[in-house]
Amino acid sequence: MSEAQAPEGKGGGTGAHADAPGGVGSGNPNQAAGEATKLIERGIEIGLAEPLRQLRDRLVGAFDELEVSAFRGELTLKAHPAQLIELVRFCRDDEDVACELLADLSGVHWPGGQKRESAQETTGWPAYEIGDEDGRIELDYILYSITHNHRFRVRVDLDDKEPRIASVSELYASALFMEREVYDFFGVEFEGHPDLRRILMPDEWEGHPHRKDYPLGGVEVQYKGTTIPPPDERSY
Amino acid sequence: MGLEQNLPSGILLTSTERLIGWARAGSLWPATFGLACCAIEMMCTGAAHYDMARFGMEVFRGSPRQSDLMIVAGRVSQKMAPVVRNLYDQMADPKWVISMGVCASSGGMFNNYAIVQGVDHVVPVDMYVPGCPPRPEMLMDGIVKLHEVIKQEQFVERPRKGESMEDFRRRTGWAVGDETDMPGWAATRTQAKGAGGESAEANTMGRLSETAAARGDA
Amino acid sequence: MSEPRGAAAASTLEPRHEFTVASGEWENLPDAVEDDLMVINMGPQHPSTHGVLRMVLTLDGETVLDNQPVIGYLHTGIEKNTEYRPWVQGVTYVTRMDYLSPLFNELAYCLAVEKLLGITEEVPERASALRVLLTELNRISSHLVWLATGGLELGAISAMIYGFRERETIIDLLEFVTGLRMNHAYIRPGGLSSDVPEGFEDRVRQVLREMPQRIDEFEDLLTENPIWVERNKGVGILSAADCLDLGVTGVMLRSAGIPHDLRKAQPYCGIEQYDFSVPVTETSDAYGRFLIRIREMRESLKIVEQALDALPGGPIMVDDPKIGWPSQLALGPDGIGNAKEYISKIMGQSMEALIHHFKLVTEGFSVPPGQVYTAVESPRGELGYHVTSNGTNKPYRVKVRDPSFLNIGSLPRLTQGLLVADVIAAVASTDPVMGGVDR
Repeated sequence: MSEAQAPEGKGGGTGAHADAPGGVGSGNPNQAAGEATKLIERGIEIGLAEPLRQLRDRLVGAFDELEVSAFRGELTLKAHPAQLIELVRFCRDDEDVACELLADLSGVHWPGGQKRESAQETTGWPAYEIGDEDGRIELDYILYSITHNHRFRVRVDLDDKEPRIASVSELYASALFMEREVYDFFGVEFEGHPDLRRILMPDEWEGHPHRKDYPLGGVEVQYKGTTIPPPDERSY
Repeated sequence: MGLEQNLPSGILLTSTERLIGWARAGSLWPATFGLACCAIEMMCTGAAHYDMARFGMEVFRGSPRQSDLMIVAGRVSQKMAPVVRNLYDQMADPKWVISMGVCASSGGMFNNYAIVQGVDHVVPVDMYVPGCPPRPEMLMDGIVKLHEVIKQEQFVERPRKGESMEDFRRRTGWAVGDETDMPGWAATRTQAKGAGGESAEANTMGRLSETAAARGDA
Repeated sequence: MSEPRGAAAASTLEPRHEFTVASGEWENLPDAVEDDLMVINMGPQHPSTHGVLRMVLTLDGETVLDNQPVIGYLHTGIEKNTEYRPWVQGVTYVTRMDYLSPLFNELAYCLAVEKLLGITEEVPERASALRVLLTELNRISSHLVWLATGGLELGAISAMIYGFRERETIIDLLEFVTGLRMNHAYIRPGGLSSDVPEGFEDRVRQVLREMPQRIDEFEDLLTENPIWVERNKGVGILSAADCLDLGVTGVMLRSAGIPHDLRKAQPYCGIEQYDFSVPVTETSDAYGRFLIRIREMRESLKIVEQALDALPGGPIMVDDPKIGWPSQLALGPDGIGNAKEYISKIMGQSMEALIHHFKLVTEGFSVPPGQVYTAVESPRGELGYHVTSNGTNKPYRVKVRDPSFLNIGSLPRLTQGLLVADVIAAVASTDPVMGGVDR
């Protein structure tokens, strides 16, 4: 994703006035929801700037089982967990890709199960979009190259009951802390990490707080004679 | 007080408690216990613009053993709570705690798994200063009110080392922050007030008892 | 008994044992009796660690062989809290992460939300220019706090007093504009919460007149001060390759000679139209970082001046009534803040405006599903927001890539072989803010 283009609208890029048909993000956000999902198919060029297209071609040329998607001018490559180490090593060592920085490693928990409708229209809770699928924990590696000034995302899906994946800490030392954080908050086991233990929660803490099945954990609050339940237990 | 008015000016009568109270309040040394955003405002209060040195408090002691006042400035997380209590226990009597900011007073906007909902679950608090973060003037107002309380107070019970706050309250009747006077809560005020708490509340500086009178409370 | 550690060991700074920088389990720490090493705990309450950072130092005499930072003492669960509040209220949570540069947190979050909404083009120019102006002022105030606390820790108490005095002038200005001294919640998705009041320009010009002399005073006090130089030169060296490997960005990377600044590489909010340079040094030590921060303050003043001169008129919030928070705020008799004209409009004239106001205040706007990563250059490095939306009015996941988190991760390599007093100087040069580290 080259943000040099994005806010100014030069070339592809993001924004309400992208010229491609069914362009990503028209002015009305509610309408954009359906169209954006249509665009997440393999190889659609809408929204990607030229350097990113070349980058994508290079990566897809080297690893042919990648699923490519683009959203708001950002390139995302979905890889299989077994491919991850090879792919990340290629991204670091190859001259045209040359990602010196692992900018971010984050997780998102998409739990399985039925789609939940929100109780009330007005202030509804997040409705899970997944139908009867298995729950997954999605890991996103944001790789950034300073020499070529490009940034893209490598996404890996893991099963949410026993998430485990190889660690990239030998390739990038920044992954040492970031993988510990993902372990702490999601329970993902990184094989090969030299020191996988909790980093932000106390050492004896049980549970992985950022998972969706972990409650927010607040207390009820007294206010002017009544009590108000914590945010995750309110019915409005 | 009657005798003082009949004497020529320049002669002060005092009692030992008032002298001690005045001495304690006059140079209350805070321990550096800044945790988060409120710590920056506490540093601003100590800096030149809103000087705390005028109250004899610019000496922030690094070691809790040498300080009188612990200003808990910032949000106390679950991991930090035992550390707070440890530091409080290390302080020598007499010691006071100001809970600065809403996060220290009640958990603030962070009503979740990670934050202790009010540092008074961990240490006994003498003065709650709300704000997110409180302006330096608000903190100084809280400090000045605490000075007045200190000048008036007789010996006040403090928790023993390792004693939990529930045991301490059962033993002494120390009131919790949310049980004291708040608008609309007069009906639910508990009767459990220990000796020290009662006198501190009853004969604090004129402003406070004036407010109580205006509310129509005892 | 193992071989006696004599003068030979003490005279060099080379570690005598190979310790993995990533550090092993707690049980593998060297035994104090057998190995003749000391394990000392520094923090979390310590006058010289920037906030609640705890470091477990393994010392051979005074030399640090290993340094395991322990963080999490300020973990607040902000990221999980944002999942239970509408998008616009996320600003108030997120602003308290890196509490010394709150406007940067807000800016990066709002840029991410605007990117998800697809309205990055539609944010008015005045809003973008004001965003740049205020964030650069925030950069100056953050560097001033760094100078103040860094100086205090190394013994330059005047630096503390001067730094906070300078910071008061900038904070006063930010209070004039946003209403709060810290944690402003001023930058909202779509623009700003309200326009700058009358007299803003004069006050900024006054700050611009005063600050350069004040920064000169700082330089006079510290730059050629032999004590300052001795304590900072050659301390805390982290080479460029190490920086990149550890994911360290910002001033630490620029002190190692790599001129990487997101304001130039991936500009945001129209910052590329302003003329400023990015200071770089080659020395990779604490003194280089000090020089860079002083120069960055001057460059930020240049940006503020240019932004003020070129400040366009116009709205400060996107036109779309489904997103734009009704921003006609004024101090009214009820103290809540809606301007009387606005109230008469929504109550009397326009039903649609009333409906939009109601929906925005109760439910908030919905954001199309997707995932973006936006990054800005905060005073500490690359501050990135990885925001996932699932189409509702609340975020699904907000992950913050905080620069201090990775800078703390670099501490083992940074402080290897240093004396204990140098550890303090090295950590200070990293400029960590524990609110961002622990979130």
